[in-house]
Amino acid sequence: MSDSTMLLAVFEEIEPAVNGIEKLHELGVSDEQMNVISGIPIKEAILGRPSALSYVSRIALTGAILGMLFGIFLIYGTPFLFPLHVGGQPIYPVPQGLIITFEMTMLGLMGFAFLGMLVDSGFPSYTPKEYVPEISDGKIAILFRCPDGQQKKLVDVLKKIGAESVNPAEARQL
Amino acid sequence: MSAIAKPLFTPSRGEEVEDPKEHLMHDPMPRGEMNSMVLDSMHSTTWKYWTLTGILAFIVVTCLFAAWYYLIMQGLGVAGVNRPVFWGIFLVEVVFWIGISHAGTFISAILRVLKVESRRPFTRAAELMTTFGLVQAGISVFLHMGRVWLSYWLLPYPNERGLWPDFHSPLMWDFMAINTYLLCSTMYLFLPLIPDLAMARDRSTGWRKTFYKILAIGFRGTEGEWKNLKTAMNIFAFAIIPVMFSVHTIVSWDFAMATRPGWSSSVFGPYFVIGALQSGMAAVAIVLFMIRSTMKNMKYFLRPEHFEALGMLMFLVSLAWAYFYFNDYLVPWYGGDMWDKILNTFIQTGPLWYLWYGMLFCNLAPLVILWNKKWRRIPWLLAIMGFVINVGMWLERYVIIPETLTINRMPFTWRIYVPHIEIVLTIGNFAFFFLLYLLASRMIPLIPVWEVQEGQESHILRKVGKAKISTVSEID
Repeated sequence: MSDSTMLLAVFEEIEPAVNGIEKLHELGVSDEQMNVISGIPIKEAILGRPSALSYVSRIALTGAILGMLFGIFLIYGTPFLFPLHVGGQPIYPVPQGLIITFEMTMLGLMGFAFLGMLVDSGFPSYTPKEYVPEISDGKIAILFRCPDGQQKKLVDVLKKIGAESVNPAEARQL
Repeated sequence: MSAIAKPLFTPSRGEEVEDPKEHLMHDPMPRGEMNSMVLDSMHSTTWKYWTLTGILAFIVVTCLFAAWYYLIMQGLGVAGVNRPVFWGIFLVEVVFWIGISHAGTFISAILRVLKVESRRPFTRAAELMTTFGLVQAGISVFLHMGRVWLSYWLLPYPNERGLWPDFHSPLMWDFMAINTYLLCSTMYLFLPLIPDLAMARDRSTGWRKTFYKILAIGFRGTEGEWKNLKTAMNIFAFAIIPVMFSVHTIVSWDFAMATRPGWSSSVFGPYFVIGALQSGMAAVAIVLFMIRSTMKNMKYFLRPEHFEALGMLMFLVSLAWAYFYFNDYLVPWYGGDMWDKILNTFIQTGPLWYLWYGMLFCNLAPLVILWNKKWRRIPWLLAIMGFVINVGMWLERYVIIPETLTINRMPFTWRIYVPHIEIVLTIGNFAFFFLLYLLASRMIPLIPVWEVQEGQESHILRKVGKAKISTVSEID
């Protein structure tokens, strides 16, 4: 177990929050040891942070491929299982096949994008988390791991550059 | 020679230059205050609200569920459908409601992709219409089926003899496309709702707290969560547009693939899509007006500028509809096929002539109002135009389906369709849509507050010479 505590610094505006991140960097808190929580999405470039890794696109692409295969099975596989001639049409028509294949591909793409968002974000999750409701009121919070012994120093620095509050982060029921 | 090339113009009263503060994006409020306004509008329910809810619920129970029960017990014989018109008002309703459902996707996806800023406060109101519209379309399909308990036969699985549904049939394409659209648009409604549900969770107590806590699925707004959410929303915004186009195109193929006079047309696909957008946009105008005038604090979020933008879209879509309709009308008329001629004569001069003229009037007359910027900014006027257009679009579907089916190549079967129980069920259908909307308006935030704040954060007024110019930057 490392000797550190989690702190949550709450800021009113983006500018002081960005300064706070910069100060934390200077004082040895790395990007991996902090997270920014906000009521609106803020670009990493604005925060001066590396981009968060997301697997949603890859999961969605997998879904699209699976959906396409399912569509191909429905349109070309099922007539193979039980060939039935209708209206003199070919058993394996290409133009008609495109319609079902397209629909299933898109369903797979979007369905998996949705599931990917849930899985990659760990949703749904109803366990206690470090959070303050003020965030959804437009405040910006920096959740960071503070090495023991440096807590007072970091709190003072962050308060000096405009943090409204810097408190030990408590996991609470959302 | 004069130094002034053209006479100068001084704006008269009412034509003054707009104050940028009139725009929502340049009239920001603290986020907490906006949250309170939206939640307050959800929590305030007057006796008028409950009376209206009660009346609608009564209509739904009697006109939809009780009448449906009667239809099931008695069989489809109590409906007006009979040879040669087997597709009556139920199918009119299916096409109509699917059309309405196109509004949400159009406003939310296409305008999001094109970064049209005026969309921000009313995307949710439009997205809700998509989901509830599709619910009504689904109900109408079930009504049309008669033996609704066998509807699972449509699912793609083999029957006892190992025979699968015919995926070469347009009706099967329809089933697959509508279900894809329903599932995807419901997920698309939910995605941008998550941060607002989290906001509602943070500010609620009692059963509402539990309700929002479950729906907010643990969202806090960390960088990773936003990244995943935005990525998923982007995928949806791009992917749902072709699905939207495919749905109504496939609906049109239910008709166009048949070699019937009046139906077999290669322009039906885009014509139906534009018709769907026409009725969808118009329905959004009605709903926005109702939200603005009946819910607290909504005048801050839904301003004349939004009605103006919506009115402009309605104007363009109306013009496009007129263009496609003319295409669809002219070619068979010019071709001179005997059955097409007979059908057109019947539609325009037969006993139901007023439906065709009503359709033309209701779809074209609003153009007279919609071209004018000042008139487009009047919410009630735009709502009336929306209502007129929707009446026109409903009539259009009636002309295309039961009226066209009246005339076929076997004159001895011609018979005019007279709806019976369908009228009651249609009333129930509409009441159910409004009831769902009314209930949802008090359960979920109709304004996407985080998107409004995001927009306000990214807009600034830049001074250029003597003028202040609105400038947008991308902060997300």
